[in-house]
Amino acid sequence: MSRHTILPGQPLTALYLLHVGSMDARLIGLSVERHWKHTVHLANSLENGRVVLIDCDRPGVEAAFEQLAPHPRTGVVCYAFHPKDHALRFPNRVILGKPLNLEALPGILAKAAAESARIIAAPPRRVAPAPYKPPSAAAQPSEALPPLGHGLQTEDERDLCGVMDDLPATPTGPLPERLFFNPDEYLIGHLLRAIEQAASSGRPHLIAGLPRLIGVRPRPVPACITDFRDNQLRPLSMAQLPPTTARLIGASSLTSNGSETVSASEDFLWNVAAWAARGRLPEGTDPYKPVRLRAWPNFTKVFMSPHALRISALWVRTWASPVEIAARLGIPQRYVFSVFSSARFAGLLDNTPPVRPGAIPQPPASTSASPPSGSAATEPVTRQQAQRPSILSRILRKLLNAV
Amino acid sequence: MRSERARHNKIIFSGTVGAGKSTAINALSDLPPVSTEALASDDTAKLKKTTTVAMDYGVLNLPDGEKVMLYGTPGQERFSFMWDILSEGGIGLVLLINNANTDPLSDLKGYLDAFKDFITGTAVTVGVTHMDRAETPGLDAYRAKLAELGYQPVPAVFRVDARSRDDVAMLVKALLYTLNPGLIDA
Repeated sequence: MSRHTILPGQPLTALYLLHVGSMDARLIGLSVERHWKHTVHLANSLENGRVVLIDCDRPGVEAAFEQLAPHPRTGVVCYAFHPKDHALRFPNRVILGKPLNLEALPGILAKAAAESARIIAAPPRRVAPAPYKPPSAAAQPSEALPPLGHGLQTEDERDLCGVMDDLPATPTGPLPERLFFNPDEYLIGHLLRAIEQAASSGRPHLIAGLPRLIGVRPRPVPACITDFRDNQLRPLSMAQLPPTTARLIGASSLTSNGSETVSASEDFLWNVAAWAARGRLPEGTDPYKPVRLRAWPNFTKVFMSPHALRISALWVRTWASPVEIAARLGIPQRYVFSVFSSARFAGLLDNTPPVRPGAIPQPPASTSASPPSGSAATEPVTRQQAQRPSILSRILRKLLNAV
Repeated sequence: MRSERARHNKIIFSGTVGAGKSTAINALSDLPPVSTEALASDDTAKLKKTTTVAMDYGVLNLPDGEKVMLYGTPGQERFSFMWDILSEGGIGLVLLINNANTDPLSDLKGYLDAFKDFITGTAVTVGVTHMDRAETPGLDAYRAKLAELGYQPVPAVFRVDARSRDDVAMLVKALLYTLNPGLIDA
């Protein structure tokens, strides 16, 4: 159990959205309605809140903190794209990284609320009145709270690939439910249906009911049009949407107001699926069944989970299960599950079993890589040449440092 | 098979006139690339003012002092006699195709045929440029063409902006992983 999990019997945390954008407010509202109704409820005023949420990236954040001065027993949780930058402006505040980890947030809010109230309720025993001390200074030691914002890269990795432990190398029993997600509960399910309906009808379709436009058109090449920015689309894709939130409608055309971005459907599906999956697999997936990537994804445009290039390079030439790919590359399975989920929705997964499923060609052990075949090397692909790195490794390191 | 040590450290950039070979090398090179661009005098002039008549040459400086040469072949077919010479001993091929050309899939086939022997011993990645001007054919059409030509597994095909160092580097990274997925990237 995570240290942020809400324990049975724990009281509802009254959360007041003191300084957040409308999109975040909507997503948090959806989360409360859908998942947190037994742990969090939204307060309608600052007076009724036990903890407040503050977006440090929004203008007017100083004024928001000023509003808190008369409410020393109220917990404060902040969030920002670059928490470290704001840590200098607002020392001793809990500042989480964006996007918020919605699974961890209720626990963090509860903890901030409880500790803030406890510190104020148990003042030090002394005769003279203690000088005013911001509650958060004592209530929020950074080591006591999760490192959600301690580094963007790590935070990104956890938010986008989760923290799931690896499965056994071979099936040993029922798979944990938390390994799977139901695409119908996320934007990806709606998006996939819209693209399928557009393709079958030959007409553009819109996903109505969202705060901004998402449309799909089947011609001249399947494309998605949206005026969501990436930093808006990502949290929307991660959040579970109530069934009535979105509905598909046909359109005669998609008119442009010049602010939309147009993406190839394959690229758009890849990203939205990766954000929904967060290192999980779509329901019904057998993680032990061999599959193959029929093509590399368009990595100049799509989200890359850790090791995605290596996973793709191996998986386009190898029939192997997600579990097996992870073992071959010596990486956590959740990275492979992320690629699997994206590839499935982007239509890049080949499920047709090979004639000899057990025969898995190995990648070439040397630099030679004839397109039609792989060699029969038996070493794990992670086994590197000893001593000096190969020229390929050195070029790669150069590019990774340079780009 | 030659050892890595015996190979020249060079990566070949080839592709159609106006696909962005010179631009791509310029984006990636650590040094100002040496170019043999000249005023275009034939049909190429309809496409762009200058064209590469011999080769482009850029350099990636590795931390240990070693260099990786980036060679760009001239796009015009009348200079195709140089392609074999330039590519000899190279690590692999980055092929750039201008999607705004009349028949880019035919261009793809032509270049793959021309470099067939080289690719068989190494690897290829394909960058499709100018997709903002010409949406079709899409990447899937390129993959289908590659499969039809017997390239299994299908090489990496990316939509690229040749001016973008990130995009060009991604093509090279995919080339390296195609050669050896066991390379460590993290």
